[in-house]
Amino acid sequence: MLPTTLGPWLDYTINGLVIGNIYALLAVGLALIFGVSHLINFAHGSVYMVGAYIGWLCVTKLNLPLPITFIAVAAGCGLLGAVIERVGLRPLRNAPRIAPLLATIGLSVVLDQSAQLLFSPDPRALPTQLPTWRIAIGGGSIGALDLLIAAVGIGSAGLLYGFLRFTKLGWAVRATALDRDAAQQCGVDVDKVNRTVFAIASALGGVSGLLVGMYYNTIDPNMGFQAGLKGIVAQLIGGVGNVPGAIAGSLLLGLIESYGIALFGTSYRNLFAFVALILILVLRPNGLFARARRLPPEPLTGTFIAPSRPLVLPKWAVWTLAAAALALPLVVQQPYLLQTLGNAWLYALLALSLTLVAGTVGQVSLGHAGLLAIGAYASSLLALDAGVPVLLAVPLAGLVAAALGTALVYPAFRLRGHYVSIATLAVGEIVTLVILNWESLTRGPIGVTGIPPLSVAGKPLVSGQWVYWVPLAVLLAFAALQSRLLNSHLGRTLRAIREDDVAARSYGVDLNRYKGLAFAVAGFVAGVGGALMAHFYSYINHETFPAPVSMLALTMVILGGLGNVAGAVLGAAVLVGLPELFRAAAEYRMLIYGVVLLLLIRFRPQGLLGTV
Amino acid sequence: MFGPMPSRRSVLFSALTGSLALACSVIPDGLAKAAEAAGEPLWFGVSGPLTGPSAQYGAQWKKGFDLALDQINAAGGVKGRPLRYVFEDSQNDPRQSIAIAQKFVADPKILIELGDFSSPASMAASPIYQRAGLVQFGFTNSHPDFTKGGDFIWSNSISQAEEQPNVADFAVTSLKLKRLAVLHLNTDWGRTSKDIFVKAAKERGAEVVATEGYLPDEKDFRSTLVRVREANPDGIVLISYYADGAAIARQLKPVGLTQPVVAVGSVYSPKFLELGGEAVNGVHTRANFFPAEPRPEVQGFVAAYRAKYQEEPDAFSAYAYDAVLVAQRVIEVGGTDRTAIRDAFPRVKDIPSVIFGKATFDPETRRVSGVRNVKLVVKDGAFVLWDGSVPAATN
Repeated sequence: MLPTTLGPWLDYTINGLVIGNIYALLAVGLALIFGVSHLINFAHGSVYMVGAYIGWLCVTKLNLPLPITFIAVAAGCGLLGAVIERVGLRPLRNAPRIAPLLATIGLSVVLDQSAQLLFSPDPRALPTQLPTWRIAIGGGSIGALDLLIAAVGIGSAGLLYGFLRFTKLGWAVRATALDRDAAQQCGVDVDKVNRTVFAIASALGGVSGLLVGMYYNTIDPNMGFQAGLKGIVAQLIGGVGNVPGAIAGSLLLGLIESYGIALFGTSYRNLFAFVALILILVLRPNGLFARARRLPPEPLTGTFIAPSRPLVLPKWAVWTLAAAALALPLVVQQPYLLQTLGNAWLYALLALSLTLVAGTVGQVSLGHAGLLAIGAYASSLLALDAGVPVLLAVPLAGLVAAALGTALVYPAFRLRGHYVSIATLAVGEIVTLVILNWESLTRGPIGVTGIPPLSVAGKPLVSGQWVYWVPLAVLLAFAALQSRLLNSHLGRTLRAIREDDVAARSYGVDLNRYKGLAFAVAGFVAGVGGALMAHFYSYINHETFPAPVSMLALTMVILGGLGNVAGAVLGAAVLVGLPELFRAAAEYRMLIYGVVLLLLIRFRPQGLLGTV
Repeated sequence: MFGPMPSRRSVLFSALTGSLALACSVIPDGLAKAAEAAGEPLWFGVSGPLTGPSAQYGAQWKKGFDLALDQINAAGGVKGRPLRYVFEDSQNDPRQSIAIAQKFVADPKILIELGDFSSPASMAASPIYQRAGLVQFGFTNSHPDFTKGGDFIWSNSISQAEEQPNVADFAVTSLKLKRLAVLHLNTDWGRTSKDIFVKAAKERGAEVVATEGYLPDEKDFRSTLVRVREANPDGIVLISYYADGAAIARQLKPVGLTQPVVAVGSVYSPKFLELGGEAVNGVHTRANFFPAEPRPEVQGFVAAYRAKYQEEPDAFSAYAYDAVLVAQRVIEVGGTDRTAIRDAFPRVKDIPSVIFGKATFDPETRRVSGVRNVKLVVKDGAFVLWDGSVPAATN
């Protein structure tokens, strides 16, 4: 009896360790960088992709032996890491901490797009030269590559641990991680430390790409994003910046996913991973393998968003701009332009919502697309299944998004800094996965078709002017409301929470209530935005609002200036408009977009209009 | 350009025999070559992914479009005018596909629009095309509700209601599999296909013992396959594209699965063989075309494709190639009026097609039926015609 009942569970365990093994390769590098720079490096996934392509060149074009390939990949990616640090991040060392985060997103766009242009978007095979023997375990088997991956993961973590504990440069790295200014004063060359750390982590990231590419015999220019995401989750489970913890966290993540599949089926895999992440963040925010339950002194609050002098538009200018925007369709009748601007206004609603929680309250959300999805589904289903008129369904959807969004993020209220970002990222993923799996309500992957357009008195508002006017009118109303809110005592309270939550609490501010209030307002605004999108699109499914939309929203907010209402609108207009402007460049347009983004961050890290 | 042209003989074709000209010119060693098209070009618009995660499909589309246009324009174009296209990158994103739709409908030179790739991007744009009266021709849009968007929305995408029973036939009737495990992409396409397949397989007397839906960016299938193994199937069915299909095939053996595999036609790609390596040997598929097929449409496409790109064509470039042939015919019949082009769809009959042999639209569903297919199996790293042998039962 035992073999039939235990048999598959042994296999699920082994499979969990096999995939966890792969996550560990990335998690170790991310943990190292986070440990020193307090930076979630979104470019790490792209370095991993570059490593895979260097390996592909060595293996298939140059026919180099495997050890030389490894050295070439490590050297190439190590160099790339040093260049990223020097060109992309060092100029931002005195910028607000949010700027380097955005820079890594920009770098990853540039790297992914360059690879796509150089090597074509087609996936390619990366054959392994390892022996093909396999060891039978349970009902399945593992191969030489599985063992090599484990050896590289554990070996590199061990080496790094030794390096950080026992070498002089390692001490310097740890000193820098603890207090950069103090380390510098003691004579530590902080730049050299950062460069070394980036080079080591990137070399490891590149080797991971090579190994994983060989493992699946597939590499493609977009392989980095999803892999990087899993690496980030894994290192958080292990405890940020904790290198041995990253390995344990990765294995644990692999096991959670594998058991999740075993119990509920494949489509629940990531749901399990992200729910586990939230649980761990809430219960043991310092990771499972930290000695203390308390978070280490959080260097991010307050300094996360640097104050700057915002560019304040005079009242008459705001009124003139608003009037000009409203009058535009009377002068310009180009539907393409109106649609693009209409899209910009819809995204500005999302940016407005995000700038309130991320900018004003300092809770940087990376899962904001989830609110769009909730609003879109709520309004569509209310209109289609409950027969609610669209005009009523849209505000109701806003309420649903406000309630659900706040409830989902509520467990993360006790978190700070980067932890909030990761928790909200997980919430965003959970929303998508619930939509995919809750078929009786959401119709699953088939999606919702035939969503009626917005109509007033039986007349559908679908023409070129209305796709522009409706979002603009809603946007102006919410923007005015939000500006008033920020100038009231409420705005001051919310900013106090951002600047110093301990001080705010000691003055009697109930943090949870105010955070809840901010998320509710933000949820309403984004929910209405998502609802409007659904009625314009007429069809939505779980892929309509993917994770990159959340990244785009954050980029808009930072570009405009955190907490800045006018900045959010400007950021949305610029980032929706730029890719359209670069249309003539076809395949090159996303590369140009990435470069422009990097230049903007470099020369205006506090955002175009400055933080408020 | 494609291949050396042995004959420089130029033959005059009347507009009426334009389609005949195409049928000849698609034969690479065709004896005839019409005058190159000249004059004011006729345009169709394409909305599809050139960047972003689906860019690989847009790249395959382009190859199919360019090949078809080379042939059409070398053979006199449309009534002597060259056919050309504008490809706007949507990144497979509804926000961008609706902006592109507005751009196309406002541009009088665009006579018909092709694309987008996925349902969210395509169907968000449908209301705009429908209202403006520009045909949206979705050639990869198998969503059952796609053409319900209105009378300007047409598709020659393979109907899964037709395709899946064929796959079920192959698995159940030909290969004698009775206990099937189905792995499908958890997208609107994969889900629709799976539902139809399961029904068809049951009608043919087989049992479906497991169904597993996976996300498009999934790479690790080991635990999924253990679940499949525990259900004790005698055959595995893949409703996949080529990259994920190959990834699944590679992980079968490591979890101890040796059952025969049947995959849908969308895995038909040289990339499936390249990425799958030895692991895809023995995979059965019911492809919609096969390079060795003697049909002139297939030969004209495959030989010219090989000559132009030095590689094997795949299903996605064939869809794109077919789509241009349709566009050419409806523009030829409908002229330069958008509504007349819509009205031309039910009137054009027997358009040469790689996938359908001869495509004719049903005015009710605005789709094409009668998909061609061949039973293939991967042998020694190549697709070959299935020889009728049933794999030995391994369980």
